[in-house]
Amino acid sequence: MLNILSRAVMMCTPLMLGAMAEVYAERTGMMITSIEGIFLMGAFGGFVGTYFTGSIVLGMLIAILCGLVTAALYGGITVYMRQQQIVTGTAINILAAGFCAFFYRVLFGIPTTPLKIATLPKIEIPLLSKIPVIGEVLFDQNILTYFVYLIIPVSYFVLFRTSLGLTLRSTGENPEAVDVAGLNVNRIRFLTVLVAGAFGGLAGSFYTLGYLGMFTSGIIGGRGWIAFAICFLGNWNPKGVVIGTLVFGLADAVSIYIQAVSGGTIFPNELIIALPYILTIILTISRRSFNVPAKLGVPYFKED
Amino acid sequence: MVTPVVELRNVSKYFAKVIANKNVSFSVGEGEVVALLGENGAGKSTIMKILYGLYGADEGQILIRGEEKTIKSPKDAMTMGIAMIQQHFSLVPTHTVTENIILGNVHGKIALKKYDEKIKGLAEAYDFDIPVESKVGALAVGVQQKVEILKALYLETKILIMDEPTAVLTPQESEHLMGFIKDFAAKGNSVIFITHKLKEVMEVADRIVVMRDGVVAGNVLKNETNERELAKLMMGKELAPSEKIGVKDFSEAETLLELSRVSVVEKGETPLLEDVSFMLRAGEVFGIAGVSGNGQDAVCEVISGSRKLTSGDVLCCGQSINSYTIRERIDAGIGYVPVDRYRDGLVMDMTLAENMMLKSSFSKRWTKHGLLSRKVLNKYTSDIIRDHKVKAVGPEETAKSLSGGNQQKMVLAREIDVGQKVIIFNQPTRGLDMGAVDRIHRSIIGEKEKGKGILLISTELSEIFEMSDHIAVMYKGKIMGIFENGQLSTERIGLLMAGYTGETEASGNEK
Repeated sequence: MLNILSRAVMMCTPLMLGAMAEVYAERTGMMITSIEGIFLMGAFGGFVGTYFTGSIVLGMLIAILCGLVTAALYGGITVYMRQQQIVTGTAINILAAGFCAFFYRVLFGIPTTPLKIATLPKIEIPLLSKIPVIGEVLFDQNILTYFVYLIIPVSYFVLFRTSLGLTLRSTGENPEAVDVAGLNVNRIRFLTVLVAGAFGGLAGSFYTLGYLGMFTSGIIGGRGWIAFAICFLGNWNPKGVVIGTLVFGLADAVSIYIQAVSGGTIFPNELIIALPYILTIILTISRRSFNVPAKLGVPYFKED
Repeated sequence: MVTPVVELRNVSKYFAKVIANKNVSFSVGEGEVVALLGENGAGKSTIMKILYGLYGADEGQILIRGEEKTIKSPKDAMTMGIAMIQQHFSLVPTHTVTENIILGNVHGKIALKKYDEKIKGLAEAYDFDIPVESKVGALAVGVQQKVEILKALYLETKILIMDEPTAVLTPQESEHLMGFIKDFAAKGNSVIFITHKLKEVMEVADRIVVMRDGVVAGNVLKNETNERELAKLMMGKELAPSEKIGVKDFSEAETLLELSRVSVVEKGETPLLEDVSFMLRAGEVFGIAGVSGNGQDAVCEVISGSRKLTSGDVLCCGQSINSYTIRERIDAGIGYVPVDRYRDGLVMDMTLAENMMLKSSFSKRWTKHGLLSRKVLNKYTSDIIRDHKVKAVGPEETAKSLSGGNQQKMVLAREIDVGQKVIIFNQPTRGLDMGAVDRIHRSIIGEKEKGKGILLISTELSEIFEMSDHIAVMYKGKIMGIFENGQLSTERIGLLMAGYTGETEASGNEK
């Protein structure tokens, strides 16, 4: 049981990071529909970086860079060229999938067994990890998970207690008001997309560096989209993101656990793998009131 | 001579090849209130947006306190003490008053309590009653405007530009605003006041700059002019006054439309309409006055069929039409000119001819052997363009290429045709220049004389008074009273629009 919970917290890490990235961006009116591709690029960049440099830290930095570049492409097209966000994002997702599959082949050929790298070590936090139950579940995790513990309260503070947060929130609700206040709407949006891209790249690298230790083209398998959905379900609020992510993290961990112990005998494997996705649909439907940023997905046109 | 606070020298601005402003020059002194008067499209807002840094000027100079400046953005303007209150407010409805005011002007961590206090103090200093901790979206439009003004005051503005500030206010609120402008100017600040209402100009301005077709048509001191001269400068010609209509006796006339205790309540929200009842008879113009957003749109939608009512009855010629679909209502002869012609009136990317058959596309009159006949449709549209003096090349032109006034004429023509019994006009002249307004008023009177029932909704009291036989005032989804035209003074109607029923209710003579 503790094992499942600990695993759930671990599986939450990338979802929470990705969903937080979405929250920031969507509060400014930018849907990061390319998040699946950003995750994948991060996973690929992290793997390749670590494989060739032998350093997980460098691998993570390369993952962040990959996320950043993908986001810059997306932001450039949607913010400055004012293209439709959903179409652009979908195109970039397809591009990322092709890019990763192609360059994996170019770099590694077709290996008979999947190439492996060492994964992020678990770090036991002294004292805290000795607390019964909680310690084992929360404080025996890898560095990325601890980073997420930090980023959630910080994000909440930034969004709701600082002038930066006020600006971000206003940009998604009424960009004219931000413009009239003398701030550059498009720059705010673009920079936020970049930050979100960096977060997303890091989140993606978790799947290769923190979990599997290898790269496959299907490694993200729609989890970027789940992060996207969590942002909606969490009502564009870091608190909501925490709750939403825990639910999905648990589903993810449970499905992996059941797969492992039953080997597909109790439930059909496919149904278990589909669990998080089914949950996405159910929760999206059942969520009652949304607090959607008024200008979500709408490019900003300044006259003249 | 004293250096003016703002001086514009030969400022010109072109959009594509259209001239928006040409050689505009005028100045504003310290403590002076300048009214920028002109019709819609005369270039008033454009020149002020240049001063505020929203547009760049193509030619000319701007001098602030005698020094030439380039104003590239509103931020630049603000550092020079210039603030502009746009016609459409730039507020974030989901944020509080305080958050809106400090947006872009704070750094780091926000101590909200401290700012709340500061802004409360500022509001009190100017005698503004504003709940600083409320969400802006929950405030009335008049109060939102005060928030905009406070935003400017917070930045210690010296030069305040206001674009059509009274368009959204009740007469009492307007008066309060005028009082504020005088006070503010008396403290040594300058105000530029964009408007097309002559009455306001005469009330508050020291000097009047009249604009027409992008150029300055006149620059006069208030004390040396009168409304007649200003109107002439504005129009470039004199308008024939439309004859005043006497109130007829409608007791014999057929009732074409009746609303009986109509309520519209969305679950868990304050009612959009509450117990609305009135009758519209043949040959009558029934005017509904009120500040926009007080349920007028819901009245239209309940009649036209695009909104379901919660309780009550809508009757057309004595028959309940509650269960009628929109199409059945069109067939019953109800025409509807919606308030937002861009959103609800026309499909901008389609041709005029296609727009004309929008509401009767199912009709056999357009078809030949079951196929749409372009010939019939184009002929029909050409006739309309000719009869209504629409400035358009022909029926194949797209709706968006027409000016606002001409678009409205097309909508009007279509709805007059659809509305063989009843026509609803929801703010039919909003945003149009005086020439177009005049034409539309004449069309309305023409239809009334044919014996149709006209429901006229307007936020312009002058329009209501000029056109209506009976006047109802709406406030928060309720009818505050129904009166014969002539029974109501502007002051009384203003109070009703603000929700005060007052002591003279008994003499209101309700139908």
